[in-house]
Amino acid sequence: METCINLNDLNKWFGSFQVLDSINLSISTAEKVVICGPSGSGKSTLIRCVNALEPFQSGSVNVCGISVEKNGRNATDIQRRVGMVFQQFNLFPHLSVLKNCTLAPCRVLGLSDDEAGAKAMHYLERVRIPEQASKYPADLSGGQQQRVAIARALTMEPELMLFDEPTSALDPEVVTEVLDTMVDLAETGMTMICVTHEMGFAKQVADRVVFMDEGKIIEIATPEKFFSEPTHERTQFFLSRVLG
Amino acid sequence: MIDLRFYEIWREQIFVEKLINGIGTSILLMILGGIIGFIFGLALATARGSKIRFLRIPSATFIESVRNTPLIVQLFFVCFGLPMIFEYRWPFFASALLALCLNFSAYYAEIIRAGFDNVEYGQSEAARALGLGKNDILAYIVLPQALAKVYPSLVSQFVFLFLTTGIISEVGVEDLTWAGRYIADRNFRDFEVFIVLTIAYALLSVMFRGVLTATGQLVFPWYREK
Repeated sequence: METCINLNDLNKWFGSFQVLDSINLSISTAEKVVICGPSGSGKSTLIRCVNALEPFQSGSVNVCGISVEKNGRNATDIQRRVGMVFQQFNLFPHLSVLKNCTLAPCRVLGLSDDEAGAKAMHYLERVRIPEQASKYPADLSGGQQQRVAIARALTMEPELMLFDEPTSALDPEVVTEVLDTMVDLAETGMTMICVTHEMGFAKQVADRVVFMDEGKIIEIATPEKFFSEPTHERTQFFLSRVLG
Repeated sequence: MIDLRFYEIWREQIFVEKLINGIGTSILLMILGGIIGFIFGLALATARGSKIRFLRIPSATFIESVRNTPLIVQLFFVCFGLPMIFEYRWPFFASALLALCLNFSAYYAEIIRAGFDNVEYGQSEAARALGLGKNDILAYIVLPQALAKVYPSLVSQFVFLFLTTGIISEVGVEDLTWAGRYIADRNFRDFEVFIVLTIAYALLSVMFRGVLTATGQLVFPWYREK
């Protein structure tokens, strides 16, 4: 299968603290990968290196056939091809839901307002909130906001999607609506990397689960294998805590 | 008991004309000064927050020079000093307007900069993640939010600056304060004249504040007080 992302001996330091330690990971097109691990293990930093939001010091990151430069000089080339959803939604509060979705397609891809609007409505329907298009983000619930954030990323028609703990800031009762949207998206064949603590989602959707600790990848396995017979002690301890 | 004779102001038609002209001049100066000063201020704030030293240092120097010197000194410098150095002649109104614009811009710049600093980092990060370039992020994401956040401060500053404009009567601009002096010098009713001036300034301030606040609600309908 075609390779979508290739990380080769990736290292990153914040000052003298090493956040990513010789990461090697290859992800194929249409593959769904869930990254889990304790906080501070480097999961978020890892996916932020994939879309060039974070610079790195050594190794190589190859995304959609483009090699990400360490200093981030070609960052926008990568970012227009990679969608990202954040823990805190980060919707633009001064723009309507529709405008949140159309701004980047208009400015970055050069679409007209009508083209971008039609595309945005298509994706807002996909995440099941077309009726909220003219509202401002502050008038929406957390779950709705996060679904708008997914639609906003999709309107750029990215080749892959990154999710950085998309449900961690949500009230428990709206977590499912966001996860359902992500499951729907997974079924369309989108390449996805999700940093999440939602182990149910991982079991249902993931092709592979990556477990990280202290900046290293400790274990990579299929969900069946990962949850039933994790090889490493560290993984077993983590799962005993998470699954309770 | 003090004997107040307000009719001494209305009695002469020329006094009333000077007052009305004065009010008009004050309003015109403030609107022009406010708008031009705001645009300069925006440019200064952007330059001061820039990574390019060639932009950052001159703008910071200008802002601090203005904020740490008296307006009257700046006024004399712009109205008399600059024309001597560069050998040009402008009407006093134009020179005074320039002085006010420069003065306002420095105060606005600092308020706008505070707005820039208060836009959450996640906003520009999300914009970057969508592939937007630096200029688009500034224009479409950071600037509108920064202005909304500091808009009440900008309005207060505008009204405060309006109250300082009386100083331009020192260089012969026939504003409201100048009209008051003109009348008092002729009818010797200083107390009554300055009561009228006080009321006029207060009403104009309230009017400016009201119009600007209503404008803010039109321009930033999405803004919610945290």
